[in-house]
Order: sequence, then C-alpha cells, then structure tokens
Amino acid sequence: MEPSDILKILKDEGFDEAVVSTSSTRSIYIKIANSKVDSIVEKKNERGRLFVSKEKKVAFSNIERPDKQSIKLAIGNLKQAINIAEPKPDYYGIAEGPFKYRSNFIFDKKISEISIEEASEIANQAISEFDVENIAGTLHLSSYTYSIATTKRVEASTMGTEARLSLRIFKNGFSMQDYIASRQLKEINLSKIKNSISMLEYANGTGKVKSGKYDIIYMRSPAGLLFSNVNDMACIDSVEMGSFLSNKLGDKIANRDLSIYDDGSIESGIDSSPFDEEGYPTQRTPIIKNGILKSYLHNYSTAKKYNTKSTGNAGLVNPSPNTMVLYHRKKKSLEKLISSIDKGIIVTNTWYTRFSNYLKGDFSTVPRDLAIYVEKGSPKFVIKNLGSSFGIGIRISDNILRMLEKTTSVVNDTTQSTSWDSDSYYYTPSVLVEEVNISTV
Amino acid sequence: MQEYEGIADYAISYGLKQGFDYVEAYLESGGSFSYSRKQGNPNSSYKSKYSGIRLRLIKKGSLYTYSTNIISKERIKEAFKFSGFKGEKVGLSEEKAEKYSYKVKERIKVEDSYESAVKDVEELDKSLNGLAYRSISISLGKYENLFVNSEGSRVYGEIPYISSFILIIVKDANDSRQKLIQLGNTGGYEVFKWEEIRENVEEEINSLKKVLKEGISLSKSQINGIKNVVASSEIIGIAVHESIGHPLEADRVFGREAAQAGTSYLMPSNLGLKIGSKEVNIFDDPTIKNSYGFFLYDEEGVKARKKQLVKKGIQNELLLNREYAKALGTKSNASSRSDFYSNEPIIRMSNTYLEKGKADFEELISEAKNGIYIKSFTEWNIDDTRSFARYQGNEAYIIKNGDIEKPVKNYKLEKSTFDFWSSVYLLGNDFNLYAGTCGKGEPQQGVPVMHGGPSALLKFGGK
Repeated sequence: MEPSDILKILKDEGFDEAVVSTSSTRSIYIKIANSKVDSIVEKKNERGRLFVSKEKKVAFSNIERPDKQSIKLAIGNLKQAINIAEPKPDYYGIAEGPFKYRSNFIFDKKISEISIEEASEIANQAISEFDVENIAGTLHLSSYTYSIATTKRVEASTMGTEARLSLRIFKNGFSMQDYIASRQLKEINLSKIKNSISMLEYANGTGKVKSGKYDIIYMRSPAGLLFSNVNDMACIDSVEMGSFLSNKLGDKIANRDLSIYDDGSIESGIDSSPFDEEGYPTQRTPIIKNGILKSYLHNYSTAKKYNTKSTGNAGLVNPSPNTMVLYHRKKKSLEKLISSIDKGIIVTNTWYTRFSNYLKGDFSTVPRDLAIYVEKGSPKFVIKNLGSSFGIGIRISDNILRMLEKTTSVVNDTTQSTSWDSDSYYYTPSVLVEEVNISTV
Repeated sequence: MQEYEGIADYAISYGLKQGFDYVEAYLESGGSFSYSRKQGNPNSSYKSKYSGIRLRLIKKGSLYTYSTNIISKERIKEAFKFSGFKGEKVGLSEEKAEKYSYKVKERIKVEDSYESAVKDVEELDKSLNGLAYRSISISLGKYENLFVNSEGSRVYGEIPYISSFILIIVKDANDSRQKLIQLGNTGGYEVFKWEEIRENVEEEINSLKKVLKEGISLSKSQINGIKNVVASSEIIGIAVHESIGHPLEADRVFGREAAQAGTSYLMPSNLGLKIGSKEVNIFDDPTIKNSYGFFLYDEEGVKARKKQLVKKGIQNELLLNREYAKALGTKSNASSRSDFYSNEPIIRMSNTYLEKGKADFEELISEAKNGIYIKSFTEWNIDDTRSFARYQGNEAYIIKNGDIEKPVKNYKLEKSTFDFWSSVYLLGNDFNLYAGTCGKGEPQQGVPVMHGGPSALLKFGGK
C-alpha cells in the first residue's frame, strides 16, 4: 500500500492533519575481526509510520508491515495514543505543500542488488590489502526506498544507498581507525584509509606526556564527532533547554574564519534526502558563518512559533540535524599544520564524548587510537601513558565555545566521515584547536 | 506470536534439509506506549507494535544472521541461499536442549496503565516548577519471544517493562548544574513507585541547588592530593559497569569488538588477572526479579544464572555466549542478548554489581577521616582498553575530621582501573542498583541493564 492510500483511510478518522511514511530497507553488515570476516548480518524490513494531530494534540504510531491488518491495527493504536494525549500548546502544524524537490541524489543499484558472496569478497579483499598484525572493522552496505504523503499536499518518495567501510588497524603495538563512506560502492577504495594508516609511520617510539595544555590536531573523524554537537545543540528544542548556543543569535561565538552548516541536500551525502519528515525540502543552513551564530534548526511548527522559516529539519515534534559541514578559510597541508605547532598532539580517534554541562558546553572525550606528541614542529613519539597494550591514557577536557574560538586552521582533506560513536555523517577536514586541556593517567 | 510459531519450526526443518550445520529461529513481538513532557507541557505520545523473526545459521563454520519483519515461508527461504564465506569458522558449546516457558507477573498490566502513566508523569512534571529546564519521558511496553533451534530447544518468554528519563537543570546568574535520571524495571506498572520517584527527584534537585549555591571549587593540586574517597553506590555502579563488566565480555577479550565497542585490558594470555583488593567481589545476575536487565534464558536458549566476574579481587568468570564458551572449552553462562529481533545477539551484561559489605555509611566517612564523598556523577568516560576512567562528580562533599562538610563543584575521580579497584578498602552495608542503557556492536545496540553495589571507601596510596 502506498502512503497516499493509507492517508485516504486516515482522512476519514477525523484528524486535523496526518503524515504517512513507508520504507523498505535492506542492510548487510560484515563484521571483520582478527583479520578475518567474522560473521554476516542481513536485514530486510518493510515498515511505516503515522503521525496525526487533532486540536493541538499530536501522536505517532507505526505500521508493523505493509498489509491491511497492520494498517488497521496502527490506526487503532494511533487513536488510542491521541485520545490519551493532551494538547501541545506550542504545536503549529505541518508544512503546506506541494513542494519542488531536488532529484539528483545518488542511488547505486550495485549496492541494492549485491549478493552476500560479493559483499564478503569485498571485505576479504580489504583485509588482504594490509600487511599488519591485526585488522578489525565493518563493511556496511544498505539501500532503501522511502515515501511520504501528508494531508498538506505532500506526496513524494526517494531512494538511497550507503556503503561504509570502517577498519581498525593494529601494527607494532599501535592502532589506527578510519572510515570510507559513500552512496556509491565504487568509491569504497582503500587509498583513503591507507593514507590515514600511513600516520602509523610516525610511530617510531613511545613516550609519556604530562597533564597540561596542548595544541590538538583532530583528524577528520574526531573533528566531525566533536563539532557535530554544534548542530545537535542548534536544534530549537536544545536551544529551549538552554544549550550553549541559546540567546546567542547574531553573536560572535567562533573563530572568524570558521563556518558550520547543516545540510540535507548534498547529493553524495549519505544522510541527505530531498525532503524532511514532513515533506519540506532540505537545504543548506548556515548555523555559524564566519564566526557569527546565524541560525537555529527548525521544522515547520517550531519555525512558526519563532516567526521564522523551516530549515528542513523535521523531526515532526522536535527538529533533528541533517549533515554537519565545517568550513574554515585557513587551510594548510597536514605537514604544514604540524610544523606550526610548538607543543601539541595529533588525535586520530576519540570516543565517549560526554557533556558535564550542556548550558556552558563543558565536555570531556577520550582519544582511542594513535595519539602522536608533536614538539617544535615535528612528531616526536606516540603517546603511551598506560602500560597496557593499546591504551593511551590521556583525556581531553574542553569547552565547545572555547574550542570554536580556538579552531585556528584546518587541513585541506575534507571528506564524508563518521565514527563508531556516532549515528550520523559529517563533512569536515582535520582541524587545529589551540590550548586544549589534557589530563593523564 | 502464536500465528508465527509454525514459521519458526518450518525454518528449522527447512534449514536442516538444506544441509546447514546449525539453525535457530528467534521470534519477537512487542508493543509499547511512550509519552513525554517538556517544561510543563505535553510533547508527544507514541503507541507502537512490532514483530519479526531472526534466523542464525551456520554453514561450513560460517555464521550468518538474517532478520525480517515479513514473517513468511517465502521470505525466510531467502536466508537459506547462504553458502558460507571465507573467514572465521565458528563452533558452539554443547548445551542442554531447553524447553521452558515463562511470563513475568504483572499485578497491574502495562497495557492497562497508559492513562495512569500520563497522569503520573504530569503530576511529577507539575511538581518540578522553578527549574531552569525539565523534561520527562516514559515508556511502558511488553515483548514476547520464542527461541527454537535445531538442537531441540524451545524457550518462550514474556517480559513487561517500564522506563523513564528525567532531565533536570538548575542555574543561577553564573553557573548551572544538570542531572539525567534514568529509571527502568521489568514487571507490571506497580513496579514504578511514584512517591519514591518524586522524593528522589526532589532530593536530586535540592542537591543540585545546594552544590550550585554553596559548592567550592578545588584546585588541581587539592584534587590530586585527595587520598581517601567514599564512593556512593551510584559511582560504584558505573565503575563496575565500565571497568569490570565491559572488559570481561569474552568477545572483547578475543578481539571481536575491536573496531566497535573496543578491546580490554584482559586478554586470552592474562585470564585470572588480579584486578582489585580482596574486598572486591563482582557479579552479573539477570535473574533479579523486576530488574531492568532481567531474563531467565538468553537469546541462545541457555538458562540464565548469577555469574561471579571478580572473586576476592581476581578475575573469575567471563561473560560468555556459546561461541566463546566453545573457544574456552566450557559452557555458556547465558550472556547472549540483542536489543531487537533484527540485530545479532552478542555478549552483554545484565545486572552487574559489587557485593555489599557490613559497614554503616557513617563508618565509611569516619574511617576516611579526611577526603571526599562523591555521591553522584555527571559526565564519565573510559578508554578503549577500559583501563583509565573518569567520573565527574555532580554532587560531592569534603570529608574533614570524619565529618561531611562543604559541597564541591569540580571533583573528578580520574584513576586507572587497577588503582581504583585495588584501593577498595571498606564496603558499606547499603545496596542500590541503577538502570542504564548499554551500547555495543555495529549497528549499535542499546540493551537495558542495571549496575550498582554499596557505598565504598577507597584508600588511594595505601592503608
């Protein structure tokens, strides 16, 4: 059943507004461990979701599978949910269509039709390319179709594909992890990861560092992981919570050469889509432009509440970010960036980023893989403050507003990246953040 | 669920006919109601229902998991086209074929409690006036699962649950404090004791306000100079989870999670490692009634039991599934779980805790004499090998001459795992478990767990 058919049924139920979406997905996860393909998971699901409003009450339900019985059950659940709900005073409706959408989003048929045998062969090929002690990782391949219809004259569908290879390489007692991600299988070539892994060549000795302030080069993946918190906290519901971006529109909050965008419209972006969850077209929204906080992220209802326009970030109740894109006007090669550092650390991967204070932006995070101490413009040694095999033993404590101000230059290496610790993608170069607090074991 | 049992049985017989070495089918069906409020106003309500099937197959030693929500013979036949791959060869430990059926009792059924939940959340929300920010969400649900395999196991379970997140933020002109409270239990609606919840939330708010108003900031050298720390059960719980439970998961120890949830200080070559003082006895037990991490059989059909992970400071058992039990030549201890039928079951904790001692809380404080009492945490993190953790104090107090004195704003308990557990000197006679959602695997799976223990005195730098 198409969303428009389900919408016709919902129209007879007396709701003010409705959004129906359906999806069909296929995902393959090939787990790599101990330099072997370890196991394979394949998922195939066909589902749907319903959203309705009535007299400012809002409710959701899901369609278990696309058959008449499930749809009937879903509508029954929806009625129960909205009967229990109370009016949401600051709800102002869904976006009025019809809209025109971009249609140039990449769909790779090779990914959607790939067999398990072919996929496992790609993983085995990747393993064989590296002459190292140990490789672990995941090859993830997925495809989807997604359709939407609303009572506000939206009827649209899109398709997408995703190929992601994450590899963690262990060599000479050190580890290094990187990701290649694209909507096209042909772009999953290993040259980018090999280039990242070449950083292991700096690992010509180990040493300990003391707690204190260091200039940090965050490579792409940790940079994206940290700066994507800006997009999360620019969503208007986070702003209402009092996030570190609250009450700062128009203020200078970052280095004047730094800009951060939310963009759901990048044709190669894995998280991109022509439209958001209420069918509003996605766009590129400047959150920070040349250091100035320019915009928060909205859906139609929250935009109306604040007398502004939707940024294409529905989330039907709360907005959600699309893809974070970071630009900086001061670009250098990695070598030149390293040579500009008097006392610093190259951080290749982080995880467990936690905020102790959302309002002030205080956080800490832990370097996970290779971290290289840099002194007087040259890499000196790999940090090993812990005795255990792959442990590093340092922790970064910082404030995100301070970090935005102290991001003084970047490497010209932007690509689509992600992290195990993140469920989204970002386009970011490696960045230099000055005078960061480091504590040690 | 009943309507699909025949499909699960069909999968087993069809798979064996197709020459698979091992076949299991896991059916799961569930539904829930979720409701949330922000800043005193309703936010959204959501009622859901789902069902699906997961097949785990082994052919020529290759492990393949296939899942779908289209539960039909035609669809599941697709899975049996799997012909193996070049890679790891998996074997499973020999286990008893189990036949069992259980349902967690509910005095008040969760499906009859949606309106009560809305009312109770609304009452709590309205009682929290005067905060800088507050949000509350609740989810009530029930899932049933049926596990069958080609070795004759057939296990059915039905588990209702309730969970809630409460975010509170207080601030003044210069500073702010925040606390995210997670609650979770299995059982009927009666397991949520709203009066206690309201009291606890009020206490948290008062504590945040007290620290905000009266808290002092210590210098780095003062923090580094603190040798005696009384850690509350909340701190002990998160430390048990992060620095004992996770590193003792066998799949980490053997490298299967190296690119995902990480490695471990424990390796096949150092099993039996001394981790802590002789006071340290740590268990994982999924059979605790009404606990958030409750189950009686895991998702490989193995009967659950209490496991002793650390015995008198020495690593004892690992958390095992059948694959790693086979690798170690032992039996599984039923630690195989998934967060949803569509994901692979992997080794997970359930309810993990430090065994309590005999000391009254006052004895811990007076024995510490001078030091710090860390009651709750906000940010926390740990490194890849689980050797170096930090728990940022949300509520902490100076201990001076055996008395609790001023609150401290910025205490961080940042120690190596071995330093932390080797410093456990005296255990309290109190005991609490805290609900959490534990992440692991790829795609990341969040499973309900609990962690806790007693308050404890840690003496860093010797006795």
